Amino acid sequence: MRFVLRRLGFFVVTLWAAITANFFIPRLMPGDPAEAMMSRYHGHINPQALKALEVAFGVKTHQSLLSEYFSYLGNVFRGRFGVSLTFFPDPVMHDILQALPWTLVLVGVTTIVGFVLGTLIGLVGAWRRGGFLDGALPPIFIITSAFPYFWLAILSIWLFSLKLGWLPQSGGYDVIDTPSWTWHFAHDAFVHSILPALTILVTAIGGWILTMRNNTISVLTEDYVRMARAKGLRPSRIMWAYAGRNAILPNLTGFAMSLGFVVAGAILVEFVFNYPGVGWMFLQSVNGQDYALMQGLFLLIVVAVLTAILAVDAATVMLDPRTRDVR
Amino acid sequence: MRRGLLVLLLAGITAAAWTAVSGQAGTKRSSSGSSVTIANVAGMSWTCGFNPFNSTVQFLSFGPIYEELVFVNALKSGAPTPWLASKFKWANHAKKLTFTIRKGVKWSDGKPLTAADVLFTFQLLKKHKALDLQAVWPVLKSVSRKGSNKVVFKFKSPSAPYFYYVAGQTPIVPKHVWSKIANPVKYSDKAPVGSGPYVARGSNCNAQRIIYTKNTHYWQKGKPKIDTVIYPAYTDNSPANVALATGQDQWGGQFIPNIKTFYTSKSKDNHYWFPPVANVSIFINLKNPILKNVAVRRAMAYAINRPHVAKLGESGYEPPANQTGIVSPTFKSWLNKKLAKKVGYDPAKAKSILKHAGFKLKNGLFYTKSGKPLSFTMINIAGYTDWIASASIVQDELKKVGIKITTSNISGGSYDDATFNGHFELAYDGNEAGGPSPYYELRQELYSKNSAPIGKQASSNWERYYNKKVDKLITAYPKTTSLAKQHSIVNKLEAAMVRDIPIIPVTEAVDFYEYNTKSITGWVNPKNPYAKPAPYEVPDWGVVLTHLRPKG
Repeated sequence: MRFVLRRLGFFVVTLWAAITANFFIPRLMPGDPAEAMMSRYHGHINPQALKALEVAFGVKTHQSLLSEYFSYLGNVFRGRFGVSLTFFPDPVMHDILQALPWTLVLVGVTTIVGFVLGTLIGLVGAWRRGGFLDGALPPIFIITSAFPYFWLAILSIWLFSLKLGWLPQSGGYDVIDTPSWTWHFAHDAFVHSILPALTILVTAIGGWILTMRNNTISVLTEDYVRMARAKGLRPSRIMWAYAGRNAILPNLTGFAMSLGFVVAGAILVEFVFNYPGVGWMFLQSVNGQDYALMQGLFLLIVVAVLTAILAVDAATVMLDPRTRDVR
Repeated sequence: MRRGLLVLLLAGITAAAWTAVSGQAGTKRSSSGSSVTIANVAGMSWTCGFNPFNSTVQFLSFGPIYEELVFVNALKSGAPTPWLASKFKWANHAKKLTFTIRKGVKWSDGKPLTAADVLFTFQLLKKHKALDLQAVWPVLKSVSRKGSNKVVFKFKSPSAPYFYYVAGQTPIVPKHVWSKIANPVKYSDKAPVGSGPYVARGSNCNAQRIIYTKNTHYWQKGKPKIDTVIYPAYTDNSPANVALATGQDQWGGQFIPNIKTFYTSKSKDNHYWFPPVANVSIFINLKNPILKNVAVRRAMAYAINRPHVAKLGESGYEPPANQTGIVSPTFKSWLNKKLAKKVGYDPAKAKSILKHAGFKLKNGLFYTKSGKPLSFTMINIAGYTDWIASASIVQDELKKVGIKITTSNISGGSYDDATFNGHFELAYDGNEAGGPSPYYELRQELYSKNSAPIGKQASSNWERYYNKKVDKLITAYPKTTSLAKQHSIVNKLEAAMVRDIPIIPVTEAVDFYEYNTKSITGWVNPKNPYAKPAPYEVPDWGVVLTHLRPKG
């Protein structure tokens, strides 16, 4: 209990630090949103429009940085992040909530599937070291995970959507479709998610396999595994409850981090596949110097990562009795 | 719009993948009735807001949904076509402009469009500075109604060029809708009521695409001929370019690498045209102690082989520019050919100019009398790969005449900050708006009022050029509506460009435009340039939509 409480304290302090950094870092970037908007237009609008944009976006308000900081803190706790400049005049939260489900489903599902599959392959591979599974899968996936993501993505678009014509090449759903809770749309969205999901999976799974396999191998040499064998326990019980349970511990933290980062989206994936998620929105907000949107997204990521770590700490306490004694 | 940032990094790799793209790709799309689909990487997903005074989404509503008083064709030296106004008349030495509002025009909700709506629109811009994107109120004195169907604009000073902004670039909105809106600046306008050929209803729009449908009340009888216009939200060039190549999308505003291989060779119906609209120039900081010497700038102008840069750096998409600053062939009637030829490619002359000006050549590099090398940093926007390629060719050519250039690729934000505030030596830039005649761009580049001291934000004269005579020419132009007088003024401005070399135009920025003629006809083409053809040019793309029709 004390462990969890201490972790909670850590959570709060980190959160404050992150919120503060979140406020100051974007403001250290050169330029301002009105200039960014002007250059986005490449002179399609009158140069004097800079003045109009400054008024519209409320830049150069002559407020002191400190008073801006405190009103920002107040707004954050009330869940107000202001108006997005990239998607002017939508409130930031509205835009994030629109993009978030796409990212959560695509990146969330692939992260979980990648972790589960990778861990299983790693565990079984290490258990039957030198077997067929161990000989084939880890090397293949380790090679694929070394591919640059965008290259693999473009190659798969070329093969599966252009050459073979099996799968759509871009978007979260067909352009003439309308999002709705129908089988038709669910099917459409699913078909559009196959290529991005597969490419993420193929590049992400290798890391999990490798670490799980190595952890398991070192755990297998431990005395308690030999003890379990000597006791004559069933091999499957030794594999799951003795080797697996201990080998997965270091990986859990990594998994938590990647779960937290799910909300950051996968920028390259969403870029290459034109996927309507958060990652691409993030890039856009940085290019457009959209402080409000950037802050909303940063905060979302920080909270998600910290929460995931907190949850994993709790899970570690359950899985590993040793941590319970730590004061 | 023209160039994605990260996108082009990927473009090269994509190009390799495309080499084998066959014609049969993509998902098949079945739809009833005629439709045109647009491929333009706007770099954003749609908010489904259509506020025509919101700079972010203006290009989605101004043209197809909201319309202008008079359409001004920038590709035909500003030839006017009466649109919502059936007539217009200048009076009082270009200080008074009267529009007669067209009879029988209806808003998409069926209510009539009247002079009251026009008057209301301009009063709205006066009340809310943030809406006045074309900055018309700094020059306007008053707008008033005369009789039942006339609107009179009075200007503070003679303002002939402002016709483009007032008549051609201001969308007219309905009074009965907009007068009820408490804060029009933050109004998203999800269910726009406009006068244009198309409407966009809420259910037809989502983050990924907009479907425009016919406005049944449209004032041009029998138009538009195309039933639906689909505008997908592309965030990356590659899918957009593939969709164009396969004919899935028919109207593009895209930079396509190696366009002959990846686009026109895919189908005989695929065509493109890239009309030049403004210059891409080297901006020279005239406050720099060495660069303020005109000899250095003149030598640089002679050292650059413009056709070479256009061919290698821009794949021939952007034609070479000339020192007069007149974009040709778009504005060829304004071009003084003799002046343009005066500063051509001549590296030997560049060297001799520097020698005569007292610079000393040592180990292939020129030095000033006090021993400072002619070595400058040229800033570039990272991600604009074609301009970066062009800049590096310029770098090589200047090296040959003894001027060392270091290029620095920085982010768009940092770049703007540097040019706006004057913290640069050289900048490779095509950020001018241009306009329906060369005057607009030259004014942006040369008028001292557009500049500012170093450290203060300049809106467009980033090189900090101050010349009283040139200022006088620039302020004389608005006083005349006579084409002959305008030509003579622009001619003198061209002379100033060649004499003072305040900037060095290198290539000409173009409108990227691809079109497919398989099932749709009526497109803009080089023989019939009736509007700027890219599907983001406001309000031109609305005009294009009224010309398109299904084949057969």
